Amino acid sequence: MAGIAGAISGAIVIGGALAILWVALDMPMRWLGAAAMLLPGALIGAFFGYRRQRRTWWRLDAQGLGVRRDLMWQLETRVPLSRVQHLDLRRGPIERTAQLATLVVHTAGSRFSAVSLGGLDQADAERLRDTLGRQLDQDGDAL
Amino acid sequence: MSSVAPGDAAPDQRLHPWSWLFVLIVQLRQFLLPLVALVVFGNRGDRDELWSNLAALVVIGVLVAVSILQYLTFHYRIGRDAISVRSGVVSRNRREIPFARIHNVVVHQNPLHRLFGVAELRLESAGGNRPEAEMRVLRLDQAMALEQLVRQRGQQVAVAEAVDDSAAPVATEEVLLTLNTAEVVRIGLLSNRGWVVVLALFGASYQLFPRDAINDAIEHGGRQAFGYASHLHPATWVWVVAALAMGVAFWVLLRVLSVAMALLRYHDFRLTEHERRLTVASGLLTRMRTSVARRRIQAWTLRESALQRWFGRRHLRIDIAAVVAANGERRDLRELAPLASPDACNALVQHLLPQLQWPPAQWRGVPQRGWWRLCLPALLIVPLLAAVAVYKLGPWGALLLAWLPWSALRAHRTMARMGYHLDARYVAVRGGWWQRWWRFAELDKLQALRLERSPLDRWLGTASVWLDTAGANGSVGLCLRYLPEAEARAVFERLNAALAGRGLRW
Repeated sequence: MAGIAGAISGAIVIGGALAILWVALDMPMRWLGAAAMLLPGALIGAFFGYRRQRRTWWRLDAQGLGVRRDLMWQLETRVPLSRVQHLDLRRGPIERTAQLATLVVHTAGSRFSAVSLGGLDQADAERLRDTLGRQLDQDGDAL
Repeated sequence: MSSVAPGDAAPDQRLHPWSWLFVLIVQLRQFLLPLVALVVFGNRGDRDELWSNLAALVVIGVLVAVSILQYLTFHYRIGRDAISVRSGVVSRNRREIPFARIHNVVVHQNPLHRLFGVAELRLESAGGNRPEAEMRVLRLDQAMALEQLVRQRGQQVAVAEAVDDSAAPVATEEVLLTLNTAEVVRIGLLSNRGWVVVLALFGASYQLFPRDAINDAIEHGGRQAFGYASHLHPATWVWVVAALAMGVAFWVLLRVLSVAMALLRYHDFRLTEHERRLTVASGLLTRMRTSVARRRIQAWTLRESALQRWFGRRHLRIDIAAVVAANGERRDLRELAPLASPDACNALVQHLLPQLQWPPAQWRGVPQRGWWRLCLPALLIVPLLAAVAVYKLGPWGALLLAWLPWSALRAHRTMARMGYHLDARYVAVRGGWWQRWWRFAELDKLQALRLERSPLDRWLGTASVWLDTAGANGSVGLCLRYLPEAEARAVFERLNAALAGRGLRW
């Protein structure tokens, strides 16, 4: 649901680009056409955002957090519990209205040192954060 | 160490009295361009010269005052298990740096520092993009004493933590590797560092002089040379010989520059071990000395270019979690062995990681089936380039296609050489054929895992497992590529289980 919402805001970029092209190429009905271009842009963005959200799975087990995303490229990332450095819980304006949150898990690594998981239910996100964070307290000397 | 009282009541200490001069120099370097612009362009206008010079003087005066104030307000105190640094003129800042958190100590001495008998000291911890503390500058013996202190105090904590490594610390300094001048010259001959100088010179000359002047100079000089040559009416072979001579001369120049760069960097290179801490010291004019605890090493990379292989040499570098300087100024100090024979490299690794079996007895290869995917970029780009070349230059442009067989051969050989090794303690990857590399890390040092399948992977039924370590910026990825999917998944799950069972040990 927030996948759509987030996507629409992202789609303005595509729509905007199309609109600029429309004006730049001197197509008929200059400004009206440009404004109309926002619609397909929003649709494309919404489609990809929705698809991205629907094809993302996460899991939390005794070993750690796993995030899987099956788009063109299939990615499956695992962060073992003992490697979590710190956690961020983010809530943008759109996510706030839908009671959702984004969890960002940081590790000390370099390439994927921040694994982010968007569109979580707020209660879920908080539970996840607390579970992952509790381990940080137990392990006295992580760094 | 007798001068430093062990208790927390140690007195506040200041930097070297001349330190304001070095702070000033660093600041001047930043303000140099605006100042020069002020003086030069200020003089061009109708206004009085006096004013622009005065403005420059005022700016310099302010900088001097700021430098002196910085010196006056910078204090540090060495406590029992931390250094505390107080600094700041307006907003005051106090920072405690526990010895146990210091990953890397850098002592840096450029020619000016050496003239004054002082050194710059940087303390770095993991992460962040700035050193924890930068002491600019200390007397050399003070800097060395502080470095030794960090080494000892950090070690006490480390030993208390790591009870399983019960081997008694080695009290004496052990030299692991030194490079004599002949070897340093060899580094220069086997590398292409000279290009860096040539490119930098080109860039600098374009910046310093107006572009038109340079273009004119090149054109004028070229025309003059050409005119002179055509005046002589030489035969074709003279042209060929002349071109060859030019090429050879340029190549020799490159080598000379490379050797000069290598000498500047690696002169008197010494890798020593003292109480489980590794120290690298090198440099001809600017001396650098960095030291890192053995257990802070995150990952290891061995490389070997074709040229190095023919001379039986390799290159060993390490990743540490401490900051990577953005300007690349000290990238080379992660080099444990800038050039050493394969046996020496293996012996070094064996010595530093006695619990590991290096090199592994057996590498697991990857299936040869999809080898062509490695030359896919060339397969797509070269025909396009060749088409353009034929269109522009005629049939000779088709010569570009000759790159394809070479690229296919390279892809085939690379795929055949790819392999990995995984056991209970570490994971290693090897790759490359013309330029070979090996990369390995202890399982304790891995941070996160990722299984990745591109559309091509799905078609060929393969997958890649990426392993993330700290401080791995700018080196080859620790990635087990192109494994059959089932095998990749098995490796992935096995690593995941292994990581979960182990605490993170820095």
